[in-house]
Amino acid sequence: MPILSLTNVSKRFGATSVLRDLTLNVPEGALYGFVGANGAGKTTTMKLILGLDTCDAGTITVADTPVHYGRTTANQGIAYLPDVPAYDEDLSPSEYLTLCGRIAGVPRADLMPRVTAMLKQVDLPTSRRRIHGFSRGMRQRLGIAQALLTRPRLLLCDEPTSALDPAGRRELLDLLASLRGQTTVLFSTHILSDVERICDRVGILHDGHLAVEGTLTDLRQQYAHDRLELQFSTPEGAQAAGRALNGAVQGTTVTLTATEAPQTVMRQTLRTLVAQDLTPQAVTHAETTLEEIFMEVTQ
Amino acid sequence: MTTWLFARKELVVAWRRHRVLLVGALFLLFGLQSPLIAKLTPDLMRSVLGSDLPLKLPTPTSVDSWTQFYKNLTQLGLFLVALVFSNTVSQAVSRGTLVNLVTKGLPRYAVILAKYLVAAGLWLSALLMSFGVTWAYTRYYFPDDLTPHVWRGLLPLALFGLLLLALTVLGSALTRSSFTGFLAAAAGFVTLSLIGLIPAAHRFDPLSLAQDNLALVTGSKALHTFVPAMGLSVALIVICLGLAIWRLNRTKL
Repeated sequence: MPILSLTNVSKRFGATSVLRDLTLNVPEGALYGFVGANGAGKTTTMKLILGLDTCDAGTITVADTPVHYGRTTANQGIAYLPDVPAYDEDLSPSEYLTLCGRIAGVPRADLMPRVTAMLKQVDLPTSRRRIHGFSRGMRQRLGIAQALLTRPRLLLCDEPTSALDPAGRRELLDLLASLRGQTTVLFSTHILSDVERICDRVGILHDGHLAVEGTLTDLRQQYAHDRLELQFSTPEGAQAAGRALNGAVQGTTVTLTATEAPQTVMRQTLRTLVAQDLTPQAVTHAETTLEEIFMEVTQ
Repeated sequence: MTTWLFARKELVVAWRRHRVLLVGALFLLFGLQSPLIAKLTPDLMRSVLGSDLPLKLPTPTSVDSWTQFYKNLTQLGLFLVALVFSNTVSQAVSRGTLVNLVTKGLPRYAVILAKYLVAAGLWLSALLMSFGVTWAYTRYYFPDDLTPHVWRGLLPLALFGLLLLALTVLGSALTRSSFTGFLAAAAGFVTLSLIGLIPAAHRFDPLSLAQDNLALVTGSKALHTFVPAMGLSVALIVICLGLAIWRLNRTKL
């Protein structure tokens, strides 16, 4: 049962058609990677789901409640984390979260303990320090706190890691991964390694519609191009091996595409190398990456 | 409820951005300055021009003090408040601070109403403070009976200020520019001035609420003669706020 359904959604900006018959179903409990190049229409899709923009065609439902522009009925169970969250900077994080909670209708008795716990969870000060002096990472963490404060059924994250440093990115991904089983997450990004790290389902938005959709395991099987990477100590050794194995050589690395089962290819390769008296330093079985699938789908 | 929540937030932000302090300090200055200028003007003129003046300077009265008060507030005070709130809606839209709150369930009409309530509250509080200071000093310096109806002059000005702020909020909701709010207020002021030139329209001209205050204070005009202009002002306030809500409802956040 999908918590979020987009059916044949289209959106144009002037002459540019951004979304064309987009159909997307996000199952309850999924960590769904919504992948697309910059400008593919990910943010537009998020804004349509939130009722912040109008669809030219199609329908959107959240937990079976239809989404309409400007109305907030469907928003009750949704939280949103924009790529660059904007705040009233003269408030403290505690004041801001209290405001968010009261607008969202969190019971007053429950609100203050929840605000304090949320600030603690995202490692932000509970003091009266104002948002004005916060770093980018702190703002993003406050964004997460405001998003999760209402204990939403569906969390929409719009490229939340794109502007964070590696440590901040890791923290945010860990936090999102910890929501598995509690909150459905639609995680829009163009950083494919982030999706591989935390998501269980992926949809690739290309040319205004979902070009590919499924679990990461299914997609890897569907677009399987397993490879063997052999590392040699010298470029000469790599070139000799490349000739013998008919592989692609780059520096001291030889890459072979596995047309049969990886174990079979490995066995044949090692036999050939022994016969040619060539000894690799390392042999690695490389799985098909989401980046490769993305490139194949979008080209 | 959400309007009240958002208004409280707006008030906190106005306080922390020193808007309350700025408006309060300047209106206090207006309040102090009005009777003081009335009192000191003859002495100043004598000290500058010498004692051989060809004309006899009249003795200042409470009328001079209130004349100065209404001049200060209509020429400076009104526009100062309009300038302070010029970007009240446009800044929230352009910075994207409304996105989180609207997606949490904040109705857009609450944004307009709350911003107007805070601006109106600040205007009325500053006006009352300034009025109180002028009233006290005027009573002290000029204990005459020439201005028996001081409250009557204040009410129309307060209402005109509320109209100017409604125009400011509407202007601010129309575009993302910081100055549109002030420009809308200024354009409204100019338009009303032009309408006031038509004799038949003068009774309904809201600008008369900020022009004939002294006549009310001295008792030469009755408050009921302003009822048409006051009625039209209230209607215009409702229309401006309605248009601002309509505009914000169609603004892509």
